[in-house]
Amino acid sequence: MAIRSGVAIASLAVAGFMALPACGPPSSTSASSASSTTPRTAWGHPDLQGVWRYEGAIPLERPEQFAERASLTEKEVAERQQLEQEQAAKRLAGQEGAAVGRRSVAESPIRGNEYNSFWQDHGRPRQVSSRTSLITDPPDGRLPFTADARKAEARASARYGVGPFESYLDPDTGERCLTDGVTGMMWQGPNGGHNRIVQSPGYVTIMHEEYRDRRVIPLDGRPHGNIRQWFGDAVGRWEGDTLVVDTTNFLDRTNYEWANIWTRPSESLRLVERFKRIDANTMEYTITVEDPTTFTRPWTAVIPISKLSNDTQIYEYACHEGNYAMPNLLRGGRTDAARAASKVRRP
Amino acid sequence: MRAGSRVAVTVALVAALSACAPSGASQSTSYVAPRTADGVPDLNGVWQTLNTANYDIQAHPARPALAIIPATPRTGTPGLVRATHTDLPALALRPLGAVGGVPAGASVVEGDEIPYQPWALAKKKENAEHWLERDPEIKCFMPGVPRATYMPYPLQILQSTNTVLIAYEFAGTTRTIHLDTVGNSPSPSWMGWSRGRWEGDTLVVEVTDFNEDTWFDRAGNFHSDALHVVERYTPVSPYHLMYEATIEDPKVFTRPWKMRMPLYRRFDADAQIREYKCVEFVEQLMYGQLGVIDPATGAVNK
Amino acid sequence: MSMKIVITLAAVVLMCAARTSAHHAFAAEFDSNKPIKLRGTVVKMEWINPHTWIHLDVKTPKGTVERWMIEGGPPNALYRRGVTKDSLPNGVEILVEGFRAKDGSLRGNGRDLTFADGRRLFVGSSGTGAPRDGRDKSEK
Repeated sequence: MAIRSGVAIASLAVAGFMALPACGPPSSTSASSASSTTPRTAWGHPDLQGVWRYEGAIPLERPEQFAERASLTEKEVAERQQLEQEQAAKRLAGQEGAAVGRRSVAESPIRGNEYNSFWQDHGRPRQVSSRTSLITDPPDGRLPFTADARKAEARASARYGVGPFESYLDPDTGERCLTDGVTGMMWQGPNGGHNRIVQSPGYVTIMHEEYRDRRVIPLDGRPHGNIRQWFGDAVGRWEGDTLVVDTTNFLDRTNYEWANIWTRPSESLRLVERFKRIDANTMEYTITVEDPTTFTRPWTAVIPISKLSNDTQIYEYACHEGNYAMPNLLRGGRTDAARAASKVRRP
Repeated sequence: MRAGSRVAVTVALVAALSACAPSGASQSTSYVAPRTADGVPDLNGVWQTLNTANYDIQAHPARPALAIIPATPRTGTPGLVRATHTDLPALALRPLGAVGGVPAGASVVEGDEIPYQPWALAKKKENAEHWLERDPEIKCFMPGVPRATYMPYPLQILQSTNTVLIAYEFAGTTRTIHLDTVGNSPSPSWMGWSRGRWEGDTLVVEVTDFNEDTWFDRAGNFHSDALHVVERYTPVSPYHLMYEATIEDPKVFTRPWKMRMPLYRRFDADAQIREYKCVEFVEQLMYGQLGVIDPATGAVNK
Repeated sequence: MSMKIVITLAAVVLMCAARTSAHHAFAAEFDSNKPIKLRGTVVKMEWINPHTWIHLDVKTPKGTVERWMIEGGPPNALYRRGVTKDSLPNGVEILVEGFRAKDGSLRGNGRDLTFADGRRLFVGSSGTGAPRDGRDKSEK
């Protein structure tokens, strides 16, 4: 009995004595004052948790015809709202073919008509806003590509979905079930772009549904390390109620194909993100992208992200585990090559 | 007690606890883990197992490689007939030499017996013989539960108020353990659907809705889509969790059976899980010969 | 009149501008000159993202049975609409309209999927119509 209580006391002493970095007290950079209305986690940090998704209709870049206009008129907004309602209702009823003037499978070009939209997560109308671009800087609302990157983007656009595909290196990283990168993670995703934020003492974890991309972001003020990764090396801190995440040490993946060149990482990429909860259902997400390999100057986008209901789940994303599309498109490539060769042989 | 003696007692205690770790006897331990702000045991941290279970969850001697061929028995020259065959590494693995060898290891299965139904035991043996073609780990597929726990990579437990995440380094797999009520899994999955609850200091996790595509190790041990796993994570010292997984699968086994092993805290200053995005590492293996060109050689595929 | 059209077009342009990259090398896998229309029985579902795979036994006019693999869209969106593995169990008969694989193999994509009685697979005429879409409280 005496031994056991001695052991118990010593156990508590062990627990108290050891400074265990992984389960120490929350970060010394303090999260904000009592005046804020952002809810708190059990350990007092601003609570950003939940499943979040961008449900807006604002494009990343301002379309050419809007030139320097950062906002639409009220009338234009109202028209968009109406159009969005109509299109959403048609999609939900499985009539999106009619909505865009297509009548039958046989009459339709493949690209853009691969699947009826019951497969996509468009159950709700998108939110309409007066903004003409998510990009707020530079003021023209457009990506400040370098000349080389602009050529690369034009090339990526032209070959997207059509190839040619000579080997597994030719489809983009998403087709290879790797990732679409970090840059667009909080507001884009081919299956709806859902993100779950989970907070634990000392960490913020972001689980992106597509490719089961995951970021575990430490808040203990550690410096960046020196090991490069696809998602870089992120460190987070609180500035008041805003989570600020600074990410560097990306692997160079510019030699791979990317569906969107602006998401490709290089060794000179640096991301600074700010997550601020505006109200119960909205987060303002700001990202500043700096990468001299791809852009002539840093650019910033501000994205209003919506919180989905508490019973929304992120489901398992088994992609590589059944990537039949890869062997299928490679076989398609061989079929095409054989046909082309036989045309040459037989005049 | 003065500070110095307290430290000495502490060090001795940790050593003692490590030395007499899994006795297999009782769950109850006098260690009481610190609490999170929610008042539950704090399992947050980076953890890793230290055993050979991923090679083979049962007791096994060392052997030359994961895929073996018996050397052809020699006849012919009198005096040189060998009574027993020799195990050699399969050709594909031979250049790895000692890097490709399998270390000996104790069983993590209680009683060292896996109660297969007769058809399933034959299938396990067949799996082992065809390891190189069949083991889903080779293709960087998600490893399932409990294999993800004892793969040779760290994992991180991240505890929020109603959710526990387990982030695995291998293939960037993450499990969400729901501590509150959650609906059903819509479909079978590789890592299952996890519901957790506290029983004293033990986190008990019920995992259901598996597909049939994962293995338990590199020895061909397998399951069906009827698999049901109950995990128990019990803190036994500031640096150890005792992990148990009870396996139930009426399509494959005659009764439930159990694995048990410690998880060790990775407390080096820079302890973290890193990326192991192995999909990229296996594309040449899986797709190199399928396209017009083989990227390894630049030559046209036949 | 022309002003109104311009504005409406602008609205449409703005809304279509974001590429909802479906990650689909469709033209590389399937042939737009080979539309297919199949009636078959589901023998296996693979709930893979971004493409579900439906294994289908199809009776040919000759009376033989062909095993087809039909590529569908992403299942995770369907889950959030209440669709589960029970919505498409083994043994159910479905109609597939889509396009055949370029290499002529027994593979195709399923653009339009309907049940044998003509109901649109996964989609109802109001709301989702899918089983377990949350509307029927007695379904658990």
